[in-house]
Amino acid sequence: MGKIDNKKIMVIDDDQDFIDAVTTILKSALYEVATASNPKEGKDKVLSEKPDLILLDIMMDSLFDGFSLCNAIKTSKEFKDVKDTPIIFVSAVKELTGSRFQFDGAEQGLVGPNDYIDKPVKPDDLLARIAKLLEK
Amino acid sequence: MDKSKFKVLVIDDEESMRDSCCLILKKEGFDTDSAENGIIGLEKIEANRPDFVIIDLKMPRMSGQEVLDKVREIDRDIIPIVITGYATVESAVEAMKKGAYDFLPKPFSPEELRIIMRRGLERKKLIRETERLRREKKLMEENFITMVSHQLRSPLVAIQQYFEVILAGMVGKVEEKQKEMILKAKERSEGLLNLINDWLSIARKDGGQIVDKLKPISLGAILSEIVDFLHPVAKDKNISLKLAALSGDDMILGDQESLEQVFVNLITNAIEYNKPNGSVTVSIKENADAILVDVEDTGVGIGPEHLPLIFDQFYQIDRSKRKGDKGSGLGLSIAKKIVEAHGGSIQVSSELGEGTVFTVLLPKAETEHQ
Repeated sequence: MGKIDNKKIMVIDDDQDFIDAVTTILKSALYEVATASNPKEGKDKVLSEKPDLILLDIMMDSLFDGFSLCNAIKTSKEFKDVKDTPIIFVSAVKELTGSRFQFDGAEQGLVGPNDYIDKPVKPDDLLARIAKLLEK
Repeated sequence: MDKSKFKVLVIDDEESMRDSCCLILKKEGFDTDSAENGIIGLEKIEANRPDFVIIDLKMPRMSGQEVLDKVREIDRDIIPIVITGYATVESAVEAMKKGAYDFLPKPFSPEELRIIMRRGLERKKLIRETERLRREKKLMEENFITMVSHQLRSPLVAIQQYFEVILAGMVGKVEEKQKEMILKAKERSEGLLNLINDWLSIARKDGGQIVDKLKPISLGAILSEIVDFLHPVAKDKNISLKLAALSGDDMILGDQESLEQVFVNLITNAIEYNKPNGSVTVSIKENADAILVDVEDTGVGIGPEHLPLIFDQFYQIDRSKRKGDKGSGLGLSIAKKIVEAHGGSIQVSSELGEGTVFTVLLPKAETEHQ
């Protein structure tokens, strides 16, 4: 049974195929979807669209961009209106060794995400994690 | 753009020698300092780390050779030049055999001093440049591998993502036949992804990077996390998975990421190649200098003819047996490389029909506070 929900999810990823696939998943659960294909566009759209949750690809450009965007949203004055938006890092990194991507940005004093998920995402796994974060 | 000045320390018991050397070298653009004996000289070397040291071989109390030896101990990058008396060229040659870069026999002219210092400067610059290039190369290699890895994986991950969405029925009803074929396609692309990861692992490990990343870590902590993580996989196949940890200190010097790869590989194999309702037991033991991890399964065992070859790249025991096998055969050879890069070893013993035990041995981390 699909959940009736008007929450808006923003997907920031440079892979258009991933955006298409995930948009299909999110729309099937009746979420509204906003997208951006690079950290800069993501930055602008987060401020203008004010999504309820952000899926952030951390493999874009240099690895640092996803991290610094997340950190900026959670800590900088510019983003104070949206600072509590839950963020899920999406990574294509250790999907087969099975070990969770370790957020070692903390060493650089960066604030991390609310959750992680590996690509390719399993639709029900993704939806469950989103639902959990939106409950709060 | 001139870099910061190079520093020279002149150690000589004769004041006139110290003064004239410093004068000449100041004019050449060096930052100069002097010391009247070896003891003061060494103190200044420790404190200021000059780029060059000019040492008079013949000094009362501490000899120039002694000073030279100690300088090399303090910092091998400091370039020592020795000054010898007119009758002691042999001792200068001796000094060079023991680490001096060059020598100046007294009496020497300012030009001779300048020439030697210029050569020394060339050498210093070469050392710095080499160091910088080495670091850059390493960074590039790591980035290259990361780049290649990302480029190879991205398309496959995108393909798999589409499969996931289709199989979840989110773009229309999936007929049985369609589902079958998509599952097969998914399996094949997963196999390819595994192969890419394995090859990239080899590319990384052979680069000797593990040696730079060793830190004291607890094997028990790593294994307990892995066992927790693999529990659902084991449960799915009705295999019981247990960990018997060491009650005491189980610290080793290791790189967590690659060790995780090794143990996930061994334990996953143990689950995979097991009998129905079988078990996998991971136990941690120790001997005088190492921590040992046994991964034991109650599987079909491995024949003696295969055992010596099992860690070879690509070796797979029986390809036909497992249809849709996603393995690439590289897992154990990578595991062996990783373990050996840690200074450890990996062994296997097995009995056909009974089971197999893989034993990983890793040297203990020496604790400073014993």
